[in-house]
Amino acid sequence: MASPWVRIGWRNLGRNRRRTILTAGGLAVGYCGVVVLAGLTDGMVGEMLRNGTGVLSGQIQIHAPDYLPERDMHRTIGGRDGTELSRLLERADAQPGVAAAAPRVYAGGLVSTGGATIGATLIGIDPTREARTTLLLGSLREGRVPRDGANEILLGSEMARTLDAQLGDEIVVVAPAADGSLGNDLFTVSGIYHSGIGDLDVSTALLPIGTLQRLLALDPGRIHEVVVRVPDPWAAPGIADALQTAITDPSVAVQPWTTFRPEMADYARLAQSSFWLVLVIVFTMAIFGVANTLLMATFERRFEIALLRALGAGPGGLVRAIVAEALALGVIATGIGALVGLVLITWWHHKPPDLSVFFGGFSMMGSYIRPVLRTEYPWPMFGWAAIALILTAVLAALYPAYRAIRTPAAETLAGR
Amino acid sequence: MMTRLGLLVRLALRNLRRQARRSVLTASAMVLGLALLVFTRSIGDGAHETWIKAGVRLASGHVTVVAPDYLPRRTIEDRLPAAGARAALDALARSDLAPLVEIAAPRLELRALASSPRGAVPVVVYGVDPTLEPAFSQLTTRLVEGRALLASDRLHAYVGVGLAQRLHLRLGDRVVLTAQGADSTIADQLVRVAGTFRSGLPEVDDGVIHIPIATAQAWVGVGDDVSAVAILLHSSRDADRVVRSLTAALGTDGTAVALPWPTTTPELDSAVKLDDYGNYVFHFVLLLIVALAIVNTILMAVLARTRELGILRALGLRRRDTATLVLFEGTLLTTVAGLLGAALGLAVTFGIFRDGLDFSAFYSGEMTAAGAIIDLIMIPEFRLDHMLQNVVWIFIIGVVASLYPAWRATRIEIAEAMKFEG
Amino acid sequence: MLPRAPSRLLVLTASLAVAAPPAQAQPSARDIVDRVDQLLRGRSSQGRVTMEIVTADWSRSLDMEIWSLGTEYALVRVLAPRKDAGTATLKAGNDLWNYLPRVDRTIKLPPSLMSAAWMGSHFTNDDLVKESRLIEDYDISIGFSGDRDGVAVWEFVLTPKPEAAVVWGRIEEQIRQADDMPVWARYYDERGALARSIAFSDFRRMGGRLVPARMTVEPADKPGESTVLQYQELAFDVGLEPSFFSLQRLQRGER
Repeated sequence: MASPWVRIGWRNLGRNRRRTILTAGGLAVGYCGVVVLAGLTDGMVGEMLRNGTGVLSGQIQIHAPDYLPERDMHRTIGGRDGTELSRLLERADAQPGVAAAAPRVYAGGLVSTGGATIGATLIGIDPTREARTTLLLGSLREGRVPRDGANEILLGSEMARTLDAQLGDEIVVVAPAADGSLGNDLFTVSGIYHSGIGDLDVSTALLPIGTLQRLLALDPGRIHEVVVRVPDPWAAPGIADALQTAITDPSVAVQPWTTFRPEMADYARLAQSSFWLVLVIVFTMAIFGVANTLLMATFERRFEIALLRALGAGPGGLVRAIVAEALALGVIATGIGALVGLVLITWWHHKPPDLSVFFGGFSMMGSYIRPVLRTEYPWPMFGWAAIALILTAVLAALYPAYRAIRTPAAETLAGR
Repeated sequence: MMTRLGLLVRLALRNLRRQARRSVLTASAMVLGLALLVFTRSIGDGAHETWIKAGVRLASGHVTVVAPDYLPRRTIEDRLPAAGARAALDALARSDLAPLVEIAAPRLELRALASSPRGAVPVVVYGVDPTLEPAFSQLTTRLVEGRALLASDRLHAYVGVGLAQRLHLRLGDRVVLTAQGADSTIADQLVRVAGTFRSGLPEVDDGVIHIPIATAQAWVGVGDDVSAVAILLHSSRDADRVVRSLTAALGTDGTAVALPWPTTTPELDSAVKLDDYGNYVFHFVLLLIVALAIVNTILMAVLARTRELGILRALGLRRRDTATLVLFEGTLLTTVAGLLGAALGLAVTFGIFRDGLDFSAFYSGEMTAAGAIIDLIMIPEFRLDHMLQNVVWIFIIGVVASLYPAWRATRIEIAEAMKFEG
Repeated sequence: MLPRAPSRLLVLTASLAVAAPPAQAQPSARDIVDRVDQLLRGRSSQGRVTMEIVTADWSRSLDMEIWSLGTEYALVRVLAPRKDAGTATLKAGNDLWNYLPRVDRTIKLPPSLMSAAWMGSHFTNDDLVKESRLIEDYDISIGFSGDRDGVAVWEFVLTPKPEAAVVWGRIEEQIRQADDMPVWARYYDERGALARSIAFSDFRRMGGRLVPARMTVEPADKPGESTVLQYQELAFDVGLEPSFFSLQRLQRGER
């Protein structure tokens, strides 16, 4: 049973609805603003992480222990004999937290049309698995994914431009093979992709993994890399450790993106830490708004307060009443703010405003960012902001409460 | 009409003075809000300006003068003739442009192969003027070992640290540069490593070499021609003006054009604009909170003065005038408060934080975005256009926040009002 | 006779075309080189070579036919193994083309790919393309003159001139005094570390000249790896003209 002061405090809110609404409104806007801004920031960081790791490199990579950093073609997983590919991939798939895994073969070589010859990185992929694991095939701009057995190849947009190559054109691909000979063959351009990452679009061509293995005289069981998708990027380090322990045959080295792209982890942390500054500023303003209002309210209701004091109300009760009022205000504001914030965030999560009309995309930390203001759900921020807001409301009430009990009742009632 | 309005204004002023407590409370919200707005906006503007400058230093400057067909392929056939470069430099020395220019650096950019006994890698070679380049790219400040280029150098190279590692180069080692010359033959050039730098950008550290421009010109046989004249300005906002002046000076004979940095480095432009957008959202939220706080307090003030306003009505003030009175009070108060807050913000920003807000504690190593290394010390910048915008917003908030209370004031019935205590 | 940068396969062949009579008295090293330089222009050669390559991951043996004219033109065609038969490389001036018989296409190699290994060997494309200009690029001095293992030899030290566009810090060569045959050549980087070495052996008469028929290249940083060139046939002054070295011939596979 709430004390009478608390009930008085609560009822005070109802007695001046307009003021309550406006004050709560100010707090709610603060809360909603903070939460939405957090959602936007998380969205931007998430986009950066997704693109930075999701386009090509994946959140976790598995290699032979001696493969990095030289990327020697001969150092395939499982050594010269290779490995049983399906078993390895299934083992990766089965790990909790892993959404998909895809095999890769890498080679450095030449691509040439009649007009031009350029150096290229060739990546052999399994199109089905690759589409589940990374975003690269999703950036296909023209044509389609190359089919195995048909000598088809997928070119980056800038590479195609340099070579002046179109869909259906013939490309000569040359690469040193694993037996020392010069692997070469004719390919047809089946598609062109545009990831937006300049380095990738100009240097990398994709082909079916079996096709590349044949070009390189590699047995089907010999691959260089398994790329793993982990939807929650921050879970990657733990899952990488688990995989490292779990996979003993063949001998592998498992790395999460925080190891091979540490600068992205740093940036994410920086974005989150700079956001606290925003939080502080917005809530400072909000505290002020509430304190202001409560102060004025206390002033306007000074007769009422004086009367209560004259009737015997102790200072403790009064303070409790005022604080209870502020607390209730805070809770209501949090409720409204959270509701509106959630609506906005959900809306912009599924239908984010696309600013590509105004700007093109750009790169940050080597990943491509599209100016789409997509929000993520900043659940922790919902909690933190709520605590901050309610604390704010209560603290903001303290000074007015103090003023209220300091004013001698008799003077106020005398008509001051 | 005039007298009536004048009367209302005087009334408004007097009312504000009489209700000091309420006025102060209302004003304080505005003061704080504006101070915060000015602070964050100035820091944000300063951060952008620094970001842009850092980015264009490692690219082609705020303004670039090139031959019309040079972009995007950047081949040696599309280079800028010596006459065009000279015309641009002359124009920049004129009295109307010179104060805007920090440095104008001619450069020759070449795609080449760099060979050492341990291997060969493709690189981008910049022929630079050693007296101008330090101020331009500031790569000299990122020295790792050895020294940067000197004016007296001929066969010296300033090499990215990643490149030096890949080719197993130490100071003084030979590097042979191979490129396609102006006459399409392949030309070799020997240089020796004078020093290594670390910019923090992998593509620069692993693939860029600076050599003296005269050496580069002789190597590929282009005489005094260059690839571009890269111009760094004091402020990125002068870019359009400089482009216009240069375009007029360079004439229409088609040997040279002047390009602003959003054209030569569109990635940077997009990134800055997007960050700007994020800032506008933040400011909107801040101002909305301020507005709501103000509406509240003004409204409360009006309601508390019900009796007083009722008496004024009884004395003959029309409903309309009551509203106007409240509107004046609110607007005046918030405008003055807003201006005070802006002044406070300016004082704090440029007084206390003039040297910048340091974020580097949160981040180890170098942060890059859109081809620039982000300096984590954010120095505020004063922009008159943004300050004027702020003032306009102050006024608008003041008016809008007073509207509802003003309307409420018209609803006061004289008889009812008398029941309130004053 | 002082062979030119013996690491360059074609240049070696070409230079063998101009064997000069053994030196009289004690001519200066520069004279020797210069004389050879003058004689080199306009001499043609044709030969058959076996190349054995041993790397850490595979071993291979190739049969090749080579034509050359001075140092400006060369054509190399692979005869065996079957997988690579018909692959050919054409050098004309500073340009290098590869013909790939499997796909029947010719590609021109851009300068940026000159560092790639040629046919998987320890030679690079650059070795083929670059015309050495020894007396222009190096100062030549005699480091040693006397007996080594009972054989009278010179050991020349080639120091690059300060502005020469070469990557080596130093080249050392041992030449037999009796017949001007090279014994070995060593290539050092600027800090004096050995980068690669070439050994010459199997000296016999071919095409009317005394030549080292076997050349072994060993990279210093990859122990156990090597490329061995063995001449099977060699003929000089075969009457080749620059027009012989055309793209059509590259592709046609004719002799």
